Amino acid sequence: MTAPGVLQYRSLIWNFAQRDLKSRFKGTAIGWAWSLLLPLASLFIYTLVAHYIFRAVPEPFGDGRAGNFAVWLFVGLTAWSFFANAVNVSMAALLGTGTLLQKIYFPSFAPVLGAVIGVIIQSAIEIALVLIVLCIFTNVGITWLLLPVWIALFVGFTAGAAMLFAVGNIYFRDLAHIISVVLQLLFYATPVLYQDNLIKDPILHKVILSNPLTEFVLLFRDLAYSLTPGRLNIWAGAVAWTAISLGLATFVFHRYGRDLAEQM
Amino acid sequence: MTDNAIEVEGLSKRFRIGTERRDSLKERFVRGSGRYDEFWALRDISFSVPQGSTFGLIGQNGSGKSTLLKMLAGVYRPTDGSIATKGRISALLELGAGFHGELTGRENIYLNGAILGLSRKQIAGAMDEIVSFSGIEEFIDSPVKIYSSGMYVRLGFSIAVTVDPEILIVDEIIAVGDEEFQRKCFDHLYELRRRGTTIVLVSHGLGTVADLCDDALWLDKGKLKSIGPVRDVIDDYLEAVNQKEAEAKERTGEVPAEMDGGRTRRLGSGEIRVTHLEFIDHNGSVAGFLSGGEKCTVRMHYEAEQDLPSVTFGLSFSHESGVNVAGPNSGYGERAMKVLAGGGYVDFHIDDLILQPSTFLVTAAAVDRGHTYDFRDRAFELRVRAQGAVTEPGLIRLPGRWTHSEAAAMPSAEHAEGNRS
Repeated sequence: MTAPGVLQYRSLIWNFAQRDLKSRFKGTAIGWAWSLLLPLASLFIYTLVAHYIFRAVPEPFGDGRAGNFAVWLFVGLTAWSFFANAVNVSMAALLGTGTLLQKIYFPSFAPVLGAVIGVIIQSAIEIALVLIVLCIFTNVGITWLLLPVWIALFVGFTAGAAMLFAVGNIYFRDLAHIISVVLQLLFYATPVLYQDNLIKDPILHKVILSNPLTEFVLLFRDLAYSLTPGRLNIWAGAVAWTAISLGLATFVFHRYGRDLAEQM
Repeated sequence: MTDNAIEVEGLSKRFRIGTERRDSLKERFVRGSGRYDEFWALRDISFSVPQGSTFGLIGQNGSGKSTLLKMLAGVYRPTDGSIATKGRISALLELGAGFHGELTGRENIYLNGAILGLSRKQIAGAMDEIVSFSGIEEFIDSPVKIYSSGMYVRLGFSIAVTVDPEILIVDEIIAVGDEEFQRKCFDHLYELRRRGTTIVLVSHGLGTVADLCDDALWLDKGKLKSIGPVRDVIDDYLEAVNQKEAEAKERTGEVPAEMDGGRTRRLGSGEIRVTHLEFIDHNGSVAGFLSGGEKCTVRMHYEAEQDLPSVTFGLSFSHESGVNVAGPNSGYGERAMKVLAGGGYVDFHIDDLILQPSTFLVTAAAVDRGHTYDFRDRAFELRVRAQGAVTEPGLIRLPGRWTHSEAAAMPSAEHAEGNRS
């Protein structure tokens, strides 16, 4: 998965992305509206459970006003669901192109990256909605200018992880099931529904903070919601995780990605 | 690698198969990455395909043909050895394999084209050609899930061939679609061949291979058995297949088969055997050659072990190039001959030998409808000599007359009108 390789196959990657997007809501009555309805529905459920039942409280807005829980959760949830969707969709996409990989050569990263791009487009709509909502709450700041950097890192990290899991799943079919459990655990190990300073146990707090998803979710919330530039050590962590993820994905692609046709 | 489109050196492919395959993490951890059942699909294959030539792969099922094609297409990596190819490869391993049911035909063309390595612009440029070649214009904007299997295949073939590949890899797919589409496919393959596309194809239709290919390779259980000009390889292959069949028959107590000078193993149950042929010229004497344009007789001698109520004798004349020129037989049903035990002969009388001077291979057979008593494939040789200088090309001299009418003498409409005024 080298940069020139990816560029050479951009047309194919884009076609896979289109295929994913076009077929996702085809045949449904309200079509693309689902891509907004689904996250809004989970936002509603989580707000109900976390805020009204468990009394979780949001951080204050960037200008110090009392926060709004639904808005605060929406920011974190959008980042989280991008990652979770990308991993799930990528595994399904690679498995789904399996028969095709047995018939004709194309690099196995193409369907994976296509799937990730499809998820990016969906999430872009959500992020735009998040920003619109924040505008409505007049919570806009100069730190938004750092968002493209955050997006680039997060996309890189997610694409790498998606590649790892998608290829891994071809070799060990159990992985898909393991991942669904791991994602659930990871969701609660990431401070999406709660604030990380809620955790009093120092060891548990360290564990939570060392979770790469925590770093990306915290950064997004810092930049978009709290309007602070984010702590340097968290940025450094995010950069490191992105490098590790992409490095591992490149290695796995070269080592295992070429023999998928035999493993299908 | 100057003028070879494909060069394969010492290619081997090993697959790991069987029940020992570890599909899950648990198995991998619990039992370790222990033994695999190994299976060599290909062993030490070397060949090269010159640019612009057509290359056939033949062999029985499971001989490794498809594996070899997939390796040429880049689907599998070699376990050992190397493959070097020059030019863009388009593979027809399974038509329409890349189609997505929910997408329309047009959207699938873009997707499949991209898989074949084309840019969006290139596909857009070829779109009209693809659609019209497939012949499904009305349905091109409907989802392919509503397509019939024939339409599916047409669209797949159209995409793969209209992308103008430099190397085309074809796996036993011509046998799809209706008669009209099949002809279109063949015409297009010939057209590609004329344009200098290198084609590698697998087919169980030996006729197809013989017609299309320049060279061929015969694979048997992953090993290269024979390689060279297509007709030689097919002869070797048929010989082996016939031998196998004969051996099977031997085991079941049928008459053993021998080569007896034929190109492939002698077949038949043997109640009656064709012993030899004689060529009798217009003077009525046995001759070493016959002359074109003369009266002559082909005499087929036989030995029958028992009385047979219904025997049909057949001859077949093939040119050295492999083209079958003629295949007369003595007739079936009421015209079949009754043969008594012992020796005898049948004559095939030719009033005017229209074969052009050349050497022809003659097959002789004695059959009873579907049952073969004796079949001697190209076991005899007939030399035809010219009586004068040969002035016509071709294998036969087509009987016919020429006439000539002067333009002035032709009663054309113009002329008739001119006369009236």
